[in-house]
Amino acid sequence: MRTLEYEDMKIEVDDEGYLLNADAWNEKVACALTLTVENVDACDLTEERMEILKFMRQYYNRFESFPIVRQVCKNVHQANECLYEEFIDPIQAWKIAGLPKPTPDAIARIRHEL
Amino acid sequence: MAKVGSPEELARIDYSPPKKSWMDIPPEFREGRWCYGSKAKDHAVVGLPNPRAWSPADEDWKLPDNWKEIFLEGMRERLHKYRSFQLFMDICVRCGACADKCHFFIGSGDPKNMPVLRAELLRSIYRGEFTTAGKIMGKLAGGRKLTYDVFKELFYYFFQCTECRRCSLFCPYGIDTAEVTMIGRELLNLLGCNIDWITGPVANCYRTGNHLGIQPHAYHSMLEFFCEEIEEITGILPEPSFNRKGAEILFITPSGDVFADPGTFTAMGYIMLFHYLEGLGLDLTWSTYASEGGNFGFFTSHEMAKRLNAKMYAEAERLGVKFIIGGECGHMWRVCNQYMDTFWEPPKSLETPVSPITGTRFEHAKEHKMIHICEFTADLIKHGKLNLDPSRNDPYRVTFHDSCNTARGMGFFEEPRYVLENIVNHFHEMPESTIREQTFCCGSGSGLNTDEFMDMRMRGALPRANAVQYVHDRHDVNLLSCICAIDRATLTTLTEYWVPDVEVSGVHELLGNALILEGEKKRTMNLRGEEFPWVEEEEEEEVEEAAEEVADEEAAGKAEGEE
Repeated sequence: MRTLEYEDMKIEVDDEGYLLNADAWNEKVACALTLTVENVDACDLTEERMEILKFMRQYYNRFESFPIVRQVCKNVHQANECLYEEFIDPIQAWKIAGLPKPTPDAIARIRHEL
Repeated sequence: MAKVGSPEELARIDYSPPKKSWMDIPPEFREGRWCYGSKAKDHAVVGLPNPRAWSPADEDWKLPDNWKEIFLEGMRERLHKYRSFQLFMDICVRCGACADKCHFFIGSGDPKNMPVLRAELLRSIYRGEFTTAGKIMGKLAGGRKLTYDVFKELFYYFFQCTECRRCSLFCPYGIDTAEVTMIGRELLNLLGCNIDWITGPVANCYRTGNHLGIQPHAYHSMLEFFCEEIEEITGILPEPSFNRKGAEILFITPSGDVFADPGTFTAMGYIMLFHYLEGLGLDLTWSTYASEGGNFGFFTSHEMAKRLNAKMYAEAERLGVKFIIGGECGHMWRVCNQYMDTFWEPPKSLETPVSPITGTRFEHAKEHKMIHICEFTADLIKHGKLNLDPSRNDPYRVTFHDSCNTARGMGFFEEPRYVLENIVNHFHEMPESTIREQTFCCGSGSGLNTDEFMDMRMRGALPRANAVQYVHDRHDVNLLSCICAIDRATLTTLTEYWVPDVEVSGVHELLGNALILEGEKKRTMNLRGEEFPWVEEEEEEEVEEAAEEVADEEAAGKAEGEE
């Protein structure tokens, strides 16, 4: 377990960087996560990126599953490859959305950065 | 792929044999060549032995005190139970015919990946612990004792085998080295030493019915999404049925097909085919309970394979269907074709499959009552029941990868090729020694499709990639088609790494492209939503024609006015 410090917040993530308490997620937490997950200096969560994160969260709350990648893009009315264009890696997007680690089979089937 | 070197680096393989005898070389767990250990929580779900936090990288694997006794007793039991195992332990003459047939040996140069030596890892324990000569003469008789290092070595190399059986094909004695690996994994499993990528899906499958852990309402919503996609492309909205009692046929496919590209396009192909056939009398249902064709239990133990397989016949019986059609999957067919009807007595409601469209009776499936979708589709095409336009696949120059399990496990070569011949115009075979029964593995089957194993996966993928490169160079092949859901995931990584200009698809994706649905709108894109290259040209031509017409009309009007 690790604790990320961002502004006045302390955020607990597991060893791989997945948020421990999915319910503790908000846009500020997403900012904190993006700094470590994407290894950037400043939070750059544009409206398009945030829409993707929010849809992934809604989907997870309803289905407890990782969505079909292009289903995400279709629902937020973005191009089919939106997850790769906006986040490079769908698994990284999932992590920034504060959701628990997908199953190993799911990870293997989604084209992602290694 | 940060952990894996460049293709050029990986392709520099050292085949020089080590100076010491193989028994004197302890296992070295090299990065990228072993898989993470199984998790305690997954052990708990299905009651696997020795649940604990552990890693193959640890010195202490936290085995029970009597681990040796458990292992050897397990081996004794299996020698007695499986005559094949006893035979394979006794008869190898070490002729070496299999040595260079394994994709992992070809790609790594590690002698312990020669199938003969991989089996010898266990055979030496058999001699050293179970035979009189081996007990007395030890190494001189090819025997050795089971030690902690030896146990670790078994783990390392039995999870560097994809059970593809290419080696068996060349064995003059017909030794099935995949079966040796299977038993080896069962023995490791007795001590709780499995890998995360196998026990995770096993636990999921037991809990939700499929490896991906997709729950029924999610499964339903995924298929609904495909139907909407199909409507966008064809103007037709299919309405598949789920868990419908009284249907004639139950359809079961691997869950990978409903979850991730490019498998999802194959799932769309199935849905379109079934919609097309509804008008001809097809009465078929999907199931959100039997929502997995694959069976990762098969990579754990025979017992676990049986447990996870149970839902297929149970659902067939509950719904009262007459037979089952299975989707494009590899190892699913090894289980269904070779084990299922001896695991269980098929339910009374099941009959020998008969195509409701053509009347063809699939006699070869009279025992297990299940046929492969490619057999079903090939038969439909043979009887002229499908209206097809192969030119829609013209942007593709296609080759076909035989999945190890359907090829060597079922002798299933012609049906997918027959389907392809009728739905694509440009088809090119890879070299003879790499297809049909001699097919090369994707390099990541039997539960090894995991990121941390990437170095070995790409090494194991090299022989298949070479063959793909060959047809890519000579015939501009840009699509590698296959009939296995694991292949659709693994070959995508393979081509990205070794042959980046080639994409991967299922056969029924291409069928979906070619199939002309009644009342469909003019197709402008393939199932991937990619516009056909000729659409733009046609549109330009249409604009030009329209402009010409307007000009003609204007000219005519002017002429009339002048008159």
